[in-house]
Amino acid sequence: MQQHATIAEASFTRDADLGPARRPRGRPIHRMLVSFSAAYFVGALVTDIAYWQMLDVMWERFSIWLITAGLIMAGLAIVAYVIDLASRRRIDRPAWPRATGYAIAVLLALTNAFVHSRDGYTAVVPTGLTLSALVVIVLALTALVAGSLTNRHRLGV
Amino acid sequence: MIQIVKDARSAKLPRLAALLVAGLGLAGCNNEGGDPKMQIGANPQLPALQQYLMPPIRIAKVVGWGKETPAVPEGLQVHALANGFQHPRSLYVLPNGDVLVVESNGPKAPIYRPKDIITGWVQSFAGAKAKDANRITLLRDTNGDGIPDLRTVFLDHLNSPFGVALIGHNLYVANTDAIVRYPYQEGQTSITAAGTKLTDLPGGPIDHHWTKALLAGPDGSKLYVGVGSNSNIGENGIGAEYERAAIWEVDVASGAHRIYANGVRNPTGLAWEPETGKLWAIANERDEIGPDLVPDYLTSVKDGGFYGWPYSYYGQHLDPRIKPQRPDLVATAIAPDYSLSSHVAPLGLAMYTGTGLPANYRGGAFVGEHGSWNRTPLNGYKVVFVPFSGGKPSGPAQDVVTGFLDANDHARGRPVGLAVDKNGALLIADDVGNTVWRVSGSAPKPAS
Repeated sequence: MQQHATIAEASFTRDADLGPARRPRGRPIHRMLVSFSAAYFVGALVTDIAYWQMLDVMWERFSIWLITAGLIMAGLAIVAYVIDLASRRRIDRPAWPRATGYAIAVLLALTNAFVHSRDGYTAVVPTGLTLSALVVIVLALTALVAGSLTNRHRLGV
Repeated sequence: MIQIVKDARSAKLPRLAALLVAGLGLAGCNNEGGDPKMQIGANPQLPALQQYLMPPIRIAKVVGWGKETPAVPEGLQVHALANGFQHPRSLYVLPNGDVLVVESNGPKAPIYRPKDIITGWVQSFAGAKAKDANRITLLRDTNGDGIPDLRTVFLDHLNSPFGVALIGHNLYVANTDAIVRYPYQEGQTSITAAGTKLTDLPGGPIDHHWTKALLAGPDGSKLYVGVGSNSNIGENGIGAEYERAAIWEVDVASGAHRIYANGVRNPTGLAWEPETGKLWAIANERDEIGPDLVPDYLTSVKDGGFYGWPYSYYGQHLDPRIKPQRPDLVATAIAPDYSLSSHVAPLGLAMYTGTGLPANYRGGAFVGEHGSWNRTPLNGYKVVFVPFSGGKPSGPAQDVVTGFLDANDHARGRPVGLAVDKNGALLIADDVGNTVWRVSGSAPKPAS
């Protein structure tokens, strides 16, 4: 009995001391989810262009599912990001331009999901296609700006 | 009854969803429809079309009839012929006066887009997801008091049936995917014989407009079939529309068919105009381009005629949602004869030749309007009468059977198929109230 209590106490103490310091500081999970959603949104632009050129409803259906999948991933990314923000002591400064750009892209994609839910040709051309392209442009610009900020930050340090 | 109560309770959900969406600023233009009276008759006013981020959805919460009955004007009376049906959609009266009630619902819709999930969910609140009975029930009123004294299952294990037509001793039933012929002897109360397939009809896997209206030709050698489109506006691809949005002429001897007329989006009811003997149809027009577009209609059907769908509506009004366009076809598009106003969803047509109702109804058309689900304010939810003279509509549509909506715009029932019984009374299938209503002339008042 005595022995057990000692062991429990010892392991508890060790965890309390070493836990946080030992946790690996890897890539946060929201980054991975953001990459997924960006890939889906880029896919939707490709299938939109395919529909515009070929007028086969198959491509139109691909687009709306890709946009929907992208939005689901974006939703999960936002949840993960909020958890990260809440649990981390320090936020990297360049995270804010990236977060803002991403939020704009997601809102555009959400609007696009509604446009793509129309029936027939006007679900894609011209508004849906334009929005798909805008989402990709905003994502690309965000990556570019955020990337350069991160680099400057690192160089500055 | 349980179904109705459940519907009533859960109908709060879509309103909540609509509020959430509106809160996100995604409701788009939330404009109201104009006065439907401006769109009754030939040459309806057609506003410019709009496209939405979120098309308006306005469904009537189902509350059931309770002790209420529909309302009829002076000179008519109404009572429930029978109730307790499972989604009765259409009616047919046999020569001996037996009434066939087709209890049916559409096949399960496939999910091609996220929107299909939402649509299915919304429809379930409008009472459209009732269990599919797939059968025909027979009602017999031997003593003519308007209360049936025999009720039997006439035909069972059908596949989303809708149209019924009797030619001699052959009873034809239009399932959603085929016309089937059954031997019938007068007075028979149930058919157990296996049917013989006359011809396939466009059915699944996509079967968007599933009802197949059926009408026997005047000489009994042909059947006319209303085959609805496979989409709202071609969003399932033009390949899915092969021989759809059309009225077929089927040869009863061989089962061969030809397209009698096409470009009719969803011809849900067919009838012969009594004076001229011409074919007339009611049709449900396209959605999602505004509360006042496109008006549903009643029209004569010309052999070989093209009525616009999907390329255009009311003649040459182009629909931008269809690509590539077909200017060659649009040039020939016939504008329908008579607009019933937008989104009323006409699902029942009966040309009245009986004598049981007051004389002013003779020769005109009754139309059962199932009611709108995508328009504010609600439109339809009643049976109207279109007077005819010289083989053509001769005046505005009159409300005949109302009260399907209560004062709060909740649905007690929704009218669908119509028929005229052997005593000249008008029968109405109500697929939400699960009742068959009988409208007869009221007892003559003593002369003053």
